[in-house]
Amino acid sequence: MALPLPPGLNHAEVAFLAEMEMVTVVPRQRLESIDLLSGKTPPLRPPHRAELPLWLALLLKKQRRANIVPPPWLHPSSLTSIIHRETKEDPITFSPPPPPPAHANPHSPGTARRLHEEANLSSPFLPSCTASAPAGYLPYHWLEVAEALLTHAGDDMPAAAGDVRSLLRDLVEVRAAKMRSSTSALEGFGGGLMSLRGVGAMELAESRGFVLGVVDGVRKIGASAEAARREEEEMGGGGGEESDEDMGI
Amino acid sequence: MDIDDILREVDPTFHSVPREKRDLQDLTRAWVAERSAPELLPWPAGGLFERINDRIKRQIEKVEEMTGDMDPKTNFVLIVIQTELERFKFLVRSYLRARIAKIDRHTLHYLSTDDLRARLSEMELAYATRHQALLHNHYLSSFLSSFPPSLQNLNDTSGNITMIDAPDLDAAVFIRLLEDTVVQGRGVDADGEMDGRESDIVILRWSDAKPLVEAGRAELV
Repeated sequence: MALPLPPGLNHAEVAFLAEMEMVTVVPRQRLESIDLLSGKTPPLRPPHRAELPLWLALLLKKQRRANIVPPPWLHPSSLTSIIHRETKEDPITFSPPPPPPAHANPHSPGTARRLHEEANLSSPFLPSCTASAPAGYLPYHWLEVAEALLTHAGDDMPAAAGDVRSLLRDLVEVRAAKMRSSTSALEGFGGGLMSLRGVGAMELAESRGFVLGVVDGVRKIGASAEAARREEEEMGGGGGEESDEDMGI
Repeated sequence: MDIDDILREVDPTFHSVPREKRDLQDLTRAWVAERSAPELLPWPAGGLFERINDRIKRQIEKVEEMTGDMDPKTNFVLIVIQTELERFKFLVRSYLRARIAKIDRHTLHYLSTDDLRARLSEMELAYATRHQALLHNHYLSSFLSSFPPSLQNLNDTSGNITMIDAPDLDAAVFIRLLEDTVVQGRGVDADGEMDGRESDIVILRWSDAKPLVEAGRAELV
């Protein structure tokens, strides 16, 4: 009865999560609003676009009831510019995540306001894979959504599915190399913090076991040294630097 | 639906998130957190689970009604409804099973203080209490009864060594920041501090991440 899985989401669970991302579809048939547990779906009236969760969009696509509008970041030009940024401009860190979506503030015209400020939404509930998402930024679930769209909606892609696929493969390799080199920074994981801004969900699931294992291992090996350091800091108060040197001897 | 709802739907300046969607977000976040955190997290407040269970029950009833008429038009709607129902049921089941796994591993720990007991739901508390009693009785009948009475307890804490296994609160976790905030972490060689920006993914110890997560400034991923 109890779940036998180790802590942390695995690949299948991440893929499940990615299927909740909202995408934009162009319906080919009328479909009335459906009263689902997660709220009513918008009524589908061709040729008006509508936003649906990915799992439902794929279902409609398979039955040829709708076409999926690929998100702008999946266009070859956007992917090329991301690859350029990942390789040339910043070969160490990941490219930044998309900026939070904003809308016009009705209370003070002319200013922009964060979308859903009060609800504190986060991926996969942010509209980061819809047609209105910004190009040039990879959302958190980029690999899973791109893979699902290429597999099941290859004919809706802005370019030949093979071209998009080979660009994606380049991107996966570049970023996997970054993930590997970031683990060498873990070796000296003494600071207690490490930021992986811009990393994707699948990449995280891939190396979660290894990264967490290293961090926990370093902590356990250094536990006595850490305890000694804390004790000295408490005793010495201001003289932290001297005691560090003492410890080195 | 009255005129206000219709007006709200066509009003581009109105961006409120409907209750159902927020519940799904809360459930998903609770599930991800429970799957990632090394210890049991508090049972969601505000009747989230009761609401979701209620709605699932009603949806099942609706499916049962709809299976009666075999009109091809409603047939597709039925497929959609059932697919979504299964997704919800998976979320709920996986969440509860992840909690039971943690309760099973450290039953006595979660029953030891009132603060920890408060994290369990009523059902989970009943389960943990009975489970522990059964286990202890079994131990007593199979071997503990031949020990002296002073050694028959399972929660002995004398001599600064506790028999109660507790989860490792310093285990590393990944969090995503939901707003710009200062993140502090304790390390082996030094204590770190950084100015985190929104949607940063940070690795740190759960004991350092916990205040941020509880304040809603970060979430586990």
